[in-house]
Amino acid sequence: MSDESPQYLVAHLRRALAEHPRTAELGVRVNVRGDAVHLSGEVASEQRRADLDVVLHEVAPQVVIHNDVRVADCREPSQREELR
Amino acid sequence: MIRIAAVGDVHLGEDARGRLRPALDKLGEHADVLLLAGDLTRHGTLDEARVAADEFADLPVPVVAVLGNHDHHSDVADDIAKLLEDQGIRVLEGTATTIDVDGQRLGVAGVKGFGGGFAGKCASRFGEREMKGFVDHTIDRADALRSALADIDADMRVALTHYSPIPETLRGEPPEIYAFLGCYQLGEAIDESEVDLAIHGHAHFGCEQGVTPGGVRVRNVAQPVIRSAFATYGLGE
Repeated sequence: MSDESPQYLVAHLRRALAEHPRTAELGVRVNVRGDAVHLSGEVASEQRRADLDVVLHEVAPQVVIHNDVRVADCREPSQREELR
Repeated sequence: MIRIAAVGDVHLGEDARGRLRPALDKLGEHADVLLLAGDLTRHGTLDEARVAADEFADLPVPVVAVLGNHDHHSDVADDIAKLLEDQGIRVLEGTATTIDVDGQRLGVAGVKGFGGGFAGKCASRFGEREMKGFVDHTIDRADALRSALADIDADMRVALTHYSPIPETLRGEPPEIYAFLGCYQLGEAIDESEVDLAIHGHAHFGCEQGVTPGGVRVRNVAQPVIRSAFATYGLGE
């Protein structure tokens, strides 16, 4: 686990995911719980989900990451909302 | 009834090419028009825009888009808009378009919009040059939407933005970042016009449904929110 306080660690990891060219993900939540970092949210492909781990390992190699991010559901909608 | 399909924040790139296409190939069964609420790309590059243009090309219904903040990231937003237009996608930015659906005219006014925050908790045009520049962009884009809405001559009107016009559809996002997700000025412009539906994206952790202070239905169609290739809405009888 990082020696940084959890608040600064979250800030650094979130910025890394947003600003690193490999990820550019602003829609991923970063939470520090216990001695691990949990990621949640949604990305457009399996590759991008895997890239989150790669980038975070680059910027904070000592941190344990639980990647709960899901890949976007691209199925047809099951119903239409009628706005009358 | 006019059937509207809408999605935002698809963030396409070569690695996501074709993922929406199986659903889009059946779009004609669901909708009369497809609205794209910005963030078609991830880094705002022309290569990513080409993937987006291919993804939404040759559909059986008109496609109308606004760009989002990601589409501006590489400072080639105008080129992206032209590339999409060349593929038949109508890209709006302070402009409007009208679509004929079985004799009914649907007007769509679009603008990217910007942040700034919501009534009582918003940025003011005061202080540093950077702060005034930020709020100037908020006001300028809202005025552009107002002007585009005024130009519409149609039976029904839709306002299409990337940023949110209300805080209600941001619920789920941290309140501290609402000021970066939308602004009340967009809602004000919508409420001053006769708008039937407002569509936006941008807030991945927000929720789908909201209403402006003036009673206009708002839908956040960011793909992580709608959890499908597109959402569909029926307007009118």
